[in-house]
Amino acid sequence: MSELRWHPLLGEWVATATHRQERTFLPPPDHCPLDPTKPGGFPTEIPAPTYDIVVFENRFPSLKSDPPPPAVAGSELYPVRPAQGECEVIVYTPNHSSSLAAEPVEQVYKLVQVWTDRFVELGARPYIDYVFIFENKGEAIGVTLHHPHGQIYGYPFIPPRIKCELEQSRKHHEHSGCCLLCDISNEERSDGRRIVATNNSFVAYIPFFAPYPYEVHISAARHLQALTDMSTDEQRALAEIIKQVIAAYDRLFDLSFPYMMVLHQRPTDGREYDYYHFHIEFYPPLRTKTKLKYLAGSETGAGMFINDTRAEEKAAELRAHVQPVVWQSGEGRRER
Amino acid sequence: MQHRRLTLADGRYLIFYTFDEDAPAEVKPSDTPAQTNEPKREVDARPVAEEERRV
Repeated sequence: MSELRWHPLLGEWVATATHRQERTFLPPPDHCPLDPTKPGGFPTEIPAPTYDIVVFENRFPSLKSDPPPPAVAGSELYPVRPAQGECEVIVYTPNHSSSLAAEPVEQVYKLVQVWTDRFVELGARPYIDYVFIFENKGEAIGVTLHHPHGQIYGYPFIPPRIKCELEQSRKHHEHSGCCLLCDISNEERSDGRRIVATNNSFVAYIPFFAPYPYEVHISAARHLQALTDMSTDEQRALAEIIKQVIAAYDRLFDLSFPYMMVLHQRPTDGREYDYYHFHIEFYPPLRTKTKLKYLAGSETGAGMFINDTRAEEKAAELRAHVQPVVWQSGEGRRER
Repeated sequence: MQHRRLTLADGRYLIFYTFDEDAPAEVKPSDTPAQTNEPKREVDARPVAEEERRV
Protein backbone atom coordinates (compact mmCIF):
# COMPACT_ATOMS: atom_id res chain seq x y z
CA MET A 1 0.00 0.00 0.00
CA SER A 2 1.40 3.36 -0.91
CA GLU A 3 0.21 6.80 -1.80
CA LEU A 4 1.29 10.41 -1.60
CA ARG A 5 -0.43 12.43 1.10
CA TRP A 6 -0.32 16.22 1.07
CA HIS A 7 1.18 17.94 4.12
CA PRO A 8 -0.82 21.19 4.21
CA LEU A 9 1.37 22.80 6.89
CA LEU A 10 4.56 22.47 4.88
CA GLY A 11 3.10 22.31 1.39
CA GLU A 12 4.89 19.03 0.67
CA TRP A 13 4.03 15.50 -0.37
CA VAL A 14 4.66 12.66 2.08
CA ALA A 15 4.90 9.09 0.77
CA THR A 16 3.27 6.36 2.77
CA ALA A 17 4.67 2.95 1.82
CA THR A 18 3.56 0.45 4.42
CA HIS A 19 5.04 -2.55 2.55
CA ARG A 20 8.51 -1.17 3.29
CA GLN A 21 8.08 -2.28 6.90
CA GLU A 22 8.72 -5.81 5.61
CA ARG A 23 11.92 -5.01 3.71
CA THR A 24 15.10 -6.99 4.23
CA PHE A 25 16.80 -5.77 7.39
CA LEU A 26 20.51 -6.34 8.02
CA PRO A 27 20.66 -9.93 6.71
CA PRO A 28 23.64 -12.13 7.63
CA PRO A 29 26.61 -11.60 5.29
CA ASP A 30 26.13 -14.98 3.60
CA HIS A 31 22.54 -14.12 2.66
CA CYS A 32 23.00 -10.67 1.23
CA PRO A 33 20.42 -10.06 -1.52
CA LEU A 34 22.89 -7.81 -3.38
CA ASP A 35 25.61 -10.47 -3.69
CA PRO A 36 26.00 -12.35 -6.98
CA THR A 37 24.05 -15.61 -7.20
CA LYS A 38 26.70 -18.28 -6.95
CA PRO A 39 26.20 -21.57 -8.84
CA GLY A 40 24.18 -23.80 -6.55
CA GLY A 41 23.86 -21.01 -4.00
CA PHE A 42 20.81 -19.24 -2.72
CA PRO A 43 19.17 -16.91 -5.27
CA THR A 44 19.94 -13.29 -4.58
CA GLU A 45 18.36 -10.33 -6.34
CA ILE A 46 21.07 -10.60 -9.02
CA PRO A 47 21.00 -13.76 -11.20
CA ALA A 48 24.65 -13.83 -12.20
CA PRO A 49 27.82 -15.33 -10.66
CA THR A 50 29.49 -11.94 -10.87
CA TYR A 51 28.86 -8.50 -12.28
CA ASP A 52 30.41 -5.09 -12.62
CA ILE A 53 27.63 -2.63 -11.76
CA VAL A 54 23.97 -3.60 -11.56
CA VAL A 55 20.81 -1.51 -11.45
CA PHE A 56 17.38 -2.89 -10.61
CA GLU A 57 13.99 -1.73 -9.49
CA ASN A 58 13.72 -1.71 -5.73
CA ARG A 59 11.78 -4.68 -4.41
CA PHE A 60 10.27 -2.42 -1.76
CA PRO A 61 9.68 0.86 -3.58
CA SER A 62 8.03 3.95 -2.20
CA LEU A 63 7.32 5.10 -5.78
CA LYS A 64 6.33 2.91 -8.74
CA SER A 65 5.77 3.46 -12.44
CA ASP A 66 2.33 1.83 -12.18
CA PRO A 67 1.23 2.57 -8.62
CA PRO A 68 -2.02 1.35 -7.15
CA PRO A 69 -4.74 3.90 -6.45
CA PRO A 70 -4.42 5.58 -3.05
CA ALA A 71 -5.55 3.32 -0.26
CA VAL A 72 -7.39 6.16 1.42
CA ALA A 73 -9.78 8.80 0.13
CA GLY A 74 -8.43 12.32 0.07
CA SER A 75 -10.26 15.58 0.76
CA GLU A 76 -9.87 19.21 -0.15
CA LEU A 77 -7.68 19.73 2.90
CA TYR A 78 -5.90 16.40 2.55
CA PRO A 79 -5.29 15.65 -1.15
CA VAL A 80 -3.86 12.25 -2.03
CA ARG A 81 -2.36 10.96 -5.27
CA PRO A 82 -0.85 7.70 -6.50
CA ALA A 83 2.81 7.27 -5.56
CA GLN A 84 4.04 7.28 -9.13
CA GLY A 85 7.76 7.40 -9.86
CA GLU A 86 10.71 5.05 -9.77
CA CYS A 87 12.95 3.58 -7.09
CA GLU A 88 16.13 1.92 -8.32
CA VAL A 89 19.03 0.29 -6.51
CA ILE A 90 22.58 0.61 -7.91
CA VAL A 91 24.98 -2.08 -6.73
CA TYR A 92 28.51 -0.73 -6.97
CA THR A 93 30.50 -3.94 -6.83
CA PRO A 94 30.01 -7.68 -6.33
CA ASN A 95 32.37 -7.48 -3.34
CA HIS A 96 30.09 -7.56 -0.29
CA SER A 97 32.64 -6.26 2.17
CA SER A 98 33.90 -3.37 0.04
CA SER A 99 32.72 0.23 -0.03
CA LEU A 100 32.80 2.95 -2.64
CA ALA A 101 35.76 4.48 -0.81
CA ALA A 102 37.64 1.19 -0.96
CA GLU A 103 36.98 0.66 -4.65
CA PRO A 104 39.55 1.83 -7.23
CA VAL A 105 38.89 5.14 -8.93
CA GLU A 106 38.13 3.23 -12.11
CA GLN A 107 35.05 1.77 -10.42
CA VAL A 108 33.94 5.21 -9.26
CA TYR A 109 34.29 6.41 -12.85
CA LYS A 110 32.14 3.51 -14.03
CA LEU A 111 29.57 4.51 -11.45
CA VAL A 112 29.55 8.09 -12.74
CA GLN A 113 28.83 6.71 -16.22
CA VAL A 114 25.98 4.57 -14.90
CA TRP A 115 24.55 7.54 -12.95
CA THR A 116 24.58 9.50 -16.21
CA ASP A 117 22.77 6.76 -18.10
CA ARG A 118 20.12 6.46 -15.40
CA PHE A 119 19.65 10.24 -15.31
CA VAL A 120 18.96 10.20 -19.05
CA GLU A 121 16.64 7.21 -19.03
CA LEU A 122 14.61 8.06 -15.94
CA GLY A 123 14.51 11.77 -16.73
CA ALA A 124 12.96 11.00 -20.12
CA ARG A 125 9.96 9.31 -18.51
CA PRO A 126 7.01 11.69 -18.64
CA TYR A 127 5.96 11.05 -15.04
CA ILE A 128 9.39 11.89 -13.59
CA ASP A 129 10.20 15.53 -12.93
CA TYR A 130 13.29 14.97 -10.83
CA VAL A 131 15.97 12.24 -10.79
CA PHE A 132 17.53 12.00 -7.36
CA ILE A 133 20.72 9.94 -7.06
CA PHE A 134 21.96 9.21 -3.56
CA GLU A 135 23.76 6.83 -1.23
CA ASN A 136 23.03 6.09 2.40
CA LYS A 137 26.12 4.53 3.96
CA GLY A 138 26.45 3.00 7.41
CA GLU A 139 24.13 1.82 10.15
CA ALA A 140 24.30 5.28 11.70
CA ILE A 141 22.36 6.46 8.66
CA GLY A 142 19.92 3.58 8.92
CA VAL A 143 21.00 1.36 6.07
CA THR A 144 19.36 -2.05 5.98
CA LEU A 145 21.94 -3.66 3.67
CA HIS A 146 25.71 -3.30 4.11
CA HIS A 147 26.61 -4.31 0.55
CA PRO A 148 27.98 -1.21 -1.27
CA HIS A 149 25.07 0.33 -3.11
CA GLY A 150 23.24 3.54 -3.81
CA GLN A 151 19.73 4.42 -4.86
CA ILE A 152 17.87 6.54 -7.37
CA TYR A 153 14.42 8.00 -6.86
CA GLY A 154 12.49 9.35 -9.80
CA TYR A 155 10.08 11.83 -8.25
CA PRO A 156 6.86 12.96 -9.95
CA PHE A 157 7.59 16.47 -8.67
CA ILE A 158 10.58 18.62 -7.73
CA PRO A 159 11.32 17.74 -4.10
CA PRO A 160 11.23 20.56 -1.53
CA ARG A 161 14.94 20.92 -0.82
CA ILE A 162 15.76 21.09 -4.54
CA LYS A 163 12.90 23.51 -5.09
CA CYS A 164 14.36 25.75 -2.38
CA GLU A 165 17.84 25.63 -3.97
CA LEU A 166 16.35 26.38 -7.38
CA GLU A 167 14.46 29.36 -6.02
CA GLN A 168 17.49 30.74 -4.18
CA SER A 169 19.61 30.24 -7.31
CA ARG A 170 17.01 31.94 -9.51
CA LYS A 171 16.75 34.94 -7.18
CA HIS A 172 20.52 35.28 -6.96
CA HIS A 173 20.83 35.13 -10.73
CA GLU A 174 18.11 37.74 -11.19
CA HIS A 175 19.73 40.01 -8.62
CA SER A 176 23.38 39.65 -9.60
CA GLY A 177 23.40 38.08 -13.04
CA CYS A 178 25.64 35.35 -11.61
CA CYS A 179 25.23 31.71 -10.67
CA LEU A 180 24.86 31.22 -6.92
CA LEU A 181 26.91 28.02 -6.82
CA CYS A 182 29.64 29.57 -8.99
CA ASP A 183 29.81 32.48 -6.56
CA ILE A 184 29.93 30.13 -3.56
CA SER A 185 32.73 28.09 -5.16
CA ASN A 186 34.66 31.24 -6.03
CA GLU A 187 34.34 32.54 -2.48
CA GLU A 188 35.48 29.21 -1.06
CA ARG A 189 38.45 29.09 -3.46
CA SER A 190 39.53 32.64 -2.67
CA ASP A 191 39.22 32.09 1.08
CA GLY A 192 40.83 28.66 0.94
CA ARG A 193 40.39 27.68 4.57
CA ARG A 194 37.46 25.37 3.92
CA ILE A 195 38.82 23.67 0.78
CA VAL A 196 39.21 19.90 1.10
CA ALA A 197 40.37 18.95 -2.40
CA THR A 198 40.52 20.39 -5.89
CA ASN A 199 41.26 19.41 -9.44
CA ASN A 200 40.87 21.21 -12.75
CA SER A 201 37.16 20.47 -13.01
CA PHE A 202 35.86 20.31 -9.43
CA VAL A 203 36.35 21.73 -5.97
CA ALA A 204 35.43 20.02 -2.70
CA TYR A 205 34.90 22.14 0.39
CA ILE A 206 33.04 22.30 3.67
CA PRO A 207 30.92 25.37 2.99
CA PHE A 208 30.94 28.41 5.25
CA PHE A 209 27.33 27.63 6.17
CA ALA A 210 27.63 23.84 6.62
CA PRO A 211 25.05 22.43 9.03
CA TYR A 212 26.96 19.14 9.57
CA PRO A 213 30.52 19.17 10.97
CA TYR A 214 32.02 17.24 8.05
CA GLU A 215 29.55 18.27 5.34
CA VAL A 216 31.49 18.37 2.07
CA HIS A 217 30.15 19.84 -1.15
CA ILE A 218 31.68 18.98 -4.51
CA SER A 219 30.96 21.65 -7.08
CA ALA A 220 31.75 21.71 -10.79
CA ALA A 221 34.21 24.42 -11.81
CA ARG A 222 32.39 24.91 -15.09
CA HIS A 223 28.82 26.15 -14.94
CA LEU A 224 26.77 23.06 -15.78
CA GLN A 225 23.50 21.63 -14.59
CA ALA A 226 23.76 17.86 -14.84
CA LEU A 227 26.01 14.84 -15.35
CA THR A 228 24.99 14.87 -19.01
CA ASP A 229 26.67 18.25 -19.49
CA MET A 230 30.08 16.87 -18.54
CA SER A 231 32.87 15.87 -20.87
CA THR A 232 34.57 12.52 -20.43
CA ASP A 233 37.49 14.24 -18.74
CA GLU A 234 35.12 16.01 -16.35
CA GLN A 235 33.43 12.74 -15.45
CA ARG A 236 36.87 11.24 -14.73
CA ALA A 237 37.73 14.26 -12.63
CA LEU A 238 34.46 13.87 -10.75
CA ALA A 239 35.32 10.24 -9.99
CA GLU A 240 38.73 11.33 -8.72
CA ILE A 241 37.46 13.96 -6.33
CA ILE A 242 34.67 11.71 -5.00
CA LYS A 243 37.27 9.03 -4.34
CA GLN A 244 39.54 11.55 -2.60
CA VAL A 245 36.78 12.86 -0.33
CA ILE A 246 35.31 9.52 0.75
CA ALA A 247 38.74 7.95 1.21
CA ALA A 248 39.70 10.93 3.39
CA TYR A 249 36.51 10.38 5.38
CA ASP A 250 37.58 6.78 6.09
CA ARG A 251 41.09 7.87 7.10
CA LEU A 252 39.83 10.64 9.37
CA PHE A 253 38.77 8.34 12.23
CA ASP A 254 40.19 5.11 10.81
CA LEU A 255 36.73 3.66 10.27
CA SER A 256 34.24 3.20 7.46
CA PHE A 257 32.75 6.67 7.61
CA PRO A 258 28.94 6.87 7.44
CA TYR A 259 27.40 9.48 5.20
CA MET A 260 24.54 10.45 2.97
CA MET A 261 25.74 11.43 -0.49
CA VAL A 262 23.26 13.26 -2.73
CA LEU A 263 23.57 14.57 -6.27
CA HIS A 264 21.81 17.85 -6.98
CA GLN A 265 21.08 18.28 -10.68
CA ARG A 266 18.57 20.16 -12.76
CA PRO A 267 15.01 18.85 -12.84
CA THR A 268 13.85 16.81 -15.82
CA ASP A 269 10.44 18.43 -16.22
CA GLY A 270 11.32 20.01 -19.56
CA ARG A 271 11.84 23.53 -18.23
CA GLU A 272 15.05 25.55 -18.42
CA TYR A 273 17.23 25.78 -15.32
CA ASP A 274 20.29 27.52 -16.73
CA TYR A 275 20.76 29.38 -13.45
CA TYR A 276 21.24 26.12 -11.49
CA HIS A 277 24.53 24.34 -10.91
CA PHE A 278 25.43 20.66 -10.51
CA HIS A 279 26.91 19.71 -7.18
CA ILE A 280 27.17 16.83 -4.72
CA GLU A 281 26.53 17.15 -1.00
CA PHE A 282 27.70 14.78 1.74
CA TYR A 283 25.96 14.76 5.12
CA PRO A 284 28.01 12.65 7.57
CA PRO A 285 26.31 12.13 10.93
CA LEU A 286 29.53 11.89 12.98
CA ARG A 287 30.80 14.95 14.85
CA THR A 288 33.62 12.99 16.53
CA LYS A 289 34.85 9.43 16.16
CA THR A 290 32.29 8.24 18.69
CA LYS A 291 29.60 10.92 18.75
CA LEU A 292 26.71 11.45 16.39
CA LYS A 293 25.13 14.72 15.38
CA TYR A 294 21.46 14.12 16.14
CA LEU A 295 18.72 15.99 14.39
CA ALA A 296 16.89 17.01 17.54
CA GLY A 297 14.29 19.63 18.47
CA SER A 298 15.74 22.70 16.78
CA GLU A 299 16.83 20.88 13.64
CA THR A 300 13.69 18.78 13.20
CA GLY A 301 11.01 20.91 14.79
CA ALA A 302 12.18 24.36 13.78
CA GLY A 303 14.39 23.66 10.80
CA MET A 304 17.40 25.45 12.27
CA PHE A 305 20.60 23.48 12.42
CA ILE A 306 23.08 23.95 15.23
CA ASN A 307 26.60 22.95 14.21
CA ASP A 308 28.88 22.37 17.19
CA THR A 309 32.02 22.92 15.11
CA ARG A 310 33.69 25.44 12.81
CA ALA A 311 33.87 24.53 9.14
CA GLU A 312 37.40 25.97 8.88
CA GLU A 313 38.74 23.52 11.50
CA LYS A 314 36.87 20.48 10.19
CA ALA A 315 38.02 21.17 6.61
CA ALA A 316 41.65 21.34 7.78
CA GLU A 317 41.26 17.99 9.56
CA LEU A 318 39.79 16.39 6.47
CA ARG A 319 42.24 18.02 4.06
CA ALA A 320 45.13 16.46 5.98
CA HIS A 321 43.79 13.03 5.01
CA VAL A 322 43.34 13.68 1.29
CA GLN A 323 45.71 11.67 -0.86
CA PRO A 324 46.41 11.69 -4.62
CA VAL A 325 44.32 9.33 -6.71
CA VAL A 326 46.11 6.61 -8.63
CA TRP A 327 44.55 5.14 -11.77
CA GLN A 328 45.61 1.51 -11.98
CA SER A 329 44.70 1.37 -15.66
CA GLY A 330 46.54 4.54 -16.51
CA GLU A 331 43.54 5.80 -18.46
CA GLY A 332 43.04 8.80 -16.21
CA ARG A 333 46.62 9.95 -16.29
CA ARG A 334 46.03 12.40 -19.10
CA GLU A 335 46.59 16.06 -18.43
CA ARG A 336 43.43 17.98 -17.79
CA MET B 1 29.78 0.93 -21.69
CA GLN B 2 27.18 -1.71 -22.49
CA HIS B 3 24.14 -2.82 -20.67
CA ARG B 4 21.93 -5.86 -20.73
CA ARG B 5 18.41 -5.55 -19.41
CA LEU B 6 16.40 -8.40 -17.90
CA THR B 7 12.75 -8.45 -16.96
CA LEU B 8 12.31 -10.47 -13.81
CA ALA B 9 9.32 -12.71 -13.20
CA ASP B 10 7.65 -10.14 -10.99
CA GLY B 11 7.94 -7.52 -13.74
CA ARG B 12 10.84 -5.56 -12.32
CA TYR B 13 13.76 -4.73 -14.56
CA LEU B 14 17.41 -5.45 -13.78
CA ILE B 15 20.29 -4.01 -15.80
CA PHE B 16 23.83 -5.36 -15.97
CA TYR B 17 26.32 -2.64 -16.89
CA THR B 18 29.56 -3.90 -18.36
CA PHE B 19 32.65 -2.05 -19.41
CA ASP B 20 34.39 -4.69 -21.44
CA GLU B 21 33.37 -7.38 -23.92
CA ASP B 22 32.43 -9.97 -21.30
CA ALA B 23 28.85 -9.72 -20.19
CA PRO B 24 27.97 -11.74 -17.09
CA ALA B 25 26.45 -15.14 -17.63
CA GLU B 26 23.23 -16.15 -15.95
CA VAL B 27 23.26 -18.89 -13.35
CA LYS B 28 20.51 -21.20 -12.27
CA PRO B 29 19.85 -20.93 -8.55
CA SER B 30 19.86 -24.15 -6.60
CA ASP B 31 16.54 -25.94 -6.25
CA THR B 32 16.87 -25.91 -2.50
CA PRO B 33 18.14 -22.54 -1.35
CA ALA B 34 19.95 -22.38 1.95
CA GLN B 35 17.74 -21.72 4.93
CA THR B 36 17.21 -18.07 5.66
CA ASN B 37 14.72 -15.96 7.48
CA GLU B 38 14.50 -13.70 4.44
CA PRO B 39 11.76 -14.14 1.80
CA LYS B 40 12.73 -16.59 -0.91
CA ARG B 41 13.52 -14.97 -4.21
CA GLU B 42 13.93 -17.80 -6.67
CA VAL B 43 10.94 -16.70 -8.73
CA ASP B 44 12.03 -13.08 -8.76
CA ALA B 45 15.58 -13.94 -9.70
CA ARG B 46 14.55 -15.77 -12.87
CA PRO B 47 14.92 -13.55 -15.92
CA VAL B 48 12.03 -13.83 -18.36
CA ALA B 49 13.15 -11.45 -21.06
CA GLU B 50 16.22 -9.48 -21.97
CA GLU B 51 17.56 -6.96 -24.38
CA GLU B 52 21.00 -5.54 -24.91
CA ARG B 53 22.27 -2.19 -26.05
CA ARG B 54 25.44 -0.16 -26.10
CA VAL B 55 25.25 3.22 -24.45
